[in-house]
Amino acid sequence: MNIFSVLIKRNVKLFFKDKGMFFTSLITPAILLVLYATFLGSVYKDSFISSLPEGFNIGDDIINSYVGCQLASSILAVSCVSVAFCSNLLMVQDKANGRIKDFTISPVKPSVMAIGYYIATLISTLIICLAATGICLAYVASIGWYMSISDVLFLVLDVFLLVMFGTALSSIINFFLSSQGQMSAVGTIISSGYGFICGAYMPISQFSEGLQKIIMFLPGTYGTSLVRNHAMGGVFEEMSDKGFPNEVVESIKDSVDCNLYFFDKYVSIDAMYVILGGSVIFLVAVYVIMNMLKGKSFKK
Amino acid sequence: MKNIIEINNLNKSFGSVKAVRDLSFRVKEGELFAFLGINGAGKSTTINIICGQLKFDSGSVFIDGHDIKKNVDEIKGKIGVVFQNSVLDNALTVYDNLQSRGALYGIYGKAFQNRVAELAKLLDFEDLLKRTLGKLSGGQRRRVDIARALLHKPKILILDEPTTGLDPQTRKILWNVISNLRKEENMTVFLTTHYMEEAADADYVVIIDSGKISAEGTPLELKNDYTGDFITIYGAEESDIKKLGNNYEKIRDAYRVSVENTEKATELILQYPNIFRDYEIIKGKMDDVFLSVTGKNLSGGEER
Repeated sequence: MNIFSVLIKRNVKLFFKDKGMFFTSLITPAILLVLYATFLGSVYKDSFISSLPEGFNIGDDIINSYVGCQLASSILAVSCVSVAFCSNLLMVQDKANGRIKDFTISPVKPSVMAIGYYIATLISTLIICLAATGICLAYVASIGWYMSISDVLFLVLDVFLLVMFGTALSSIINFFLSSQGQMSAVGTIISSGYGFICGAYMPISQFSEGLQKIIMFLPGTYGTSLVRNHAMGGVFEEMSDKGFPNEVVESIKDSVDCNLYFFDKYVSIDAMYVILGGSVIFLVAVYVIMNMLKGKSFKK
Repeated sequence: MKNIIEINNLNKSFGSVKAVRDLSFRVKEGELFAFLGINGAGKSTTINIICGQLKFDSGSVFIDGHDIKKNVDEIKGKIGVVFQNSVLDNALTVYDNLQSRGALYGIYGKAFQNRVAELAKLLDFEDLLKRTLGKLSGGQRRRVDIARALLHKPKILILDEPTTGLDPQTRKILWNVISNLRKEENMTVFLTTHYMEEAADADYVVIIDSGKISAEGTPLELKNDYTGDFITIYGAEESDIKKLGNNYEKIRDAYRVSVENTEKATELILQYPNIFRDYEIIKGKMDDVFLSVTGKNLSGGEER
């Protein structure tokens, strides 16, 4: 047992002891799925059918699976980040209620505390997001399943990376917060806004050209695309097997952001992993350095 | 005895507000040091600086010979703090709380278990270890707060109004424990309190007002310098008391006469032996000292 394991244990226990925080985080993805399926399912379905070239016949199973996978991938892409913001409240609560003093009077380094908060939030968020992934996969299975084992494994990897990204991002933003009011405000902004800027709520192709270019600089966009690619890959393969021309399939992929273009240059899946993984490393490093600098400023 | 805390010409401002002004004092190793002042006098600012929580504008702070600007991490390992309000996690058990705080000082495994057992016995909370902290009474939680501060065997224990809101019995238990620790481990106790009877037991007292020292000394020195004595005379007539020529007040079955000091009291007794048939002489209290020094009352948790 070392300082990290004890701090992580403390932070994770406090998260799960706060039943309100835990259940809110857990049921949010489930509620989103129900709302999406109820209100957006038919919109996605109509939009997909109207985008098909005339003369193409397609079974309900594929259409339902296409819509279900799109919904599920949108929810997972948003949840990995928004749940991280919900789970990462302890570091702000410790500041708001003065508990942080009990840690800062000790010789423990601020960077150690920072990593303790990061890993604890990562664990809590992962538990919730993996549960959400299970719910989403069950939903997809109930309406039409075309995913392979590798698709599922890659989807879990995508969720893991996005959770790491969301946790790092929330850690940096929460570093500057010190009250419950600020926490609530940031939580509301992230929950309502992140889905738009990562391309989960609306396909990026529907934004203006200038906005599309800006969004392509945001790492979350590539996370959403990875989740979408692995959730919908099986459906696209099925379409090809059913005789859809490659151009049509690629065109549909473009329309739902499975294919991304950075200034007209195609971004491969591998490149998306590099961008997302690199962003995680960069953000975690920035977060730790910020805490180290804060610790040094006390000593001056 | 060596100085364990040395503060020289300390200054700290928050914007235009000067919280601490040219503060200098010494705390000797093993003593009970009382640091008194009304809310906003600069006590908490000074404590935060001593604990390495706050930068200061000028001056120097040495703890156990270490300059706080150069060795803050080493100093942090020598200080234990009992905060005014508990800063432990209400949702966790007493054991989990102490485990997470012990780890901050590198205390794990068997060493931690032994230390917790020792403190639980000393502070009489062995049966509370598995209880959730938030469900304990104020007195029980205070004992756990003190255990947390003592986990790493600090050389200096800072008690920031530790007994505010506690019942007399719990206050007595806590002071007995602290007193024993001081004797057994030569631990220095740096106390801020609103209970003047606690300050009266201190080895040395510093009173600050508006960020600067208003008075300092042993309780006896302060009482001698800032308050007079009181003679309570029983079985005398008011006309006799008037003859003494001093201020007095009638209490239930006696008169309380103010005198400048014990020497003046002796002179009065010798001058009027017939009046002093049944009497007692007592020194002024720390409350009177505080009132005399600051012009403000500070008693039982409230300033008036």
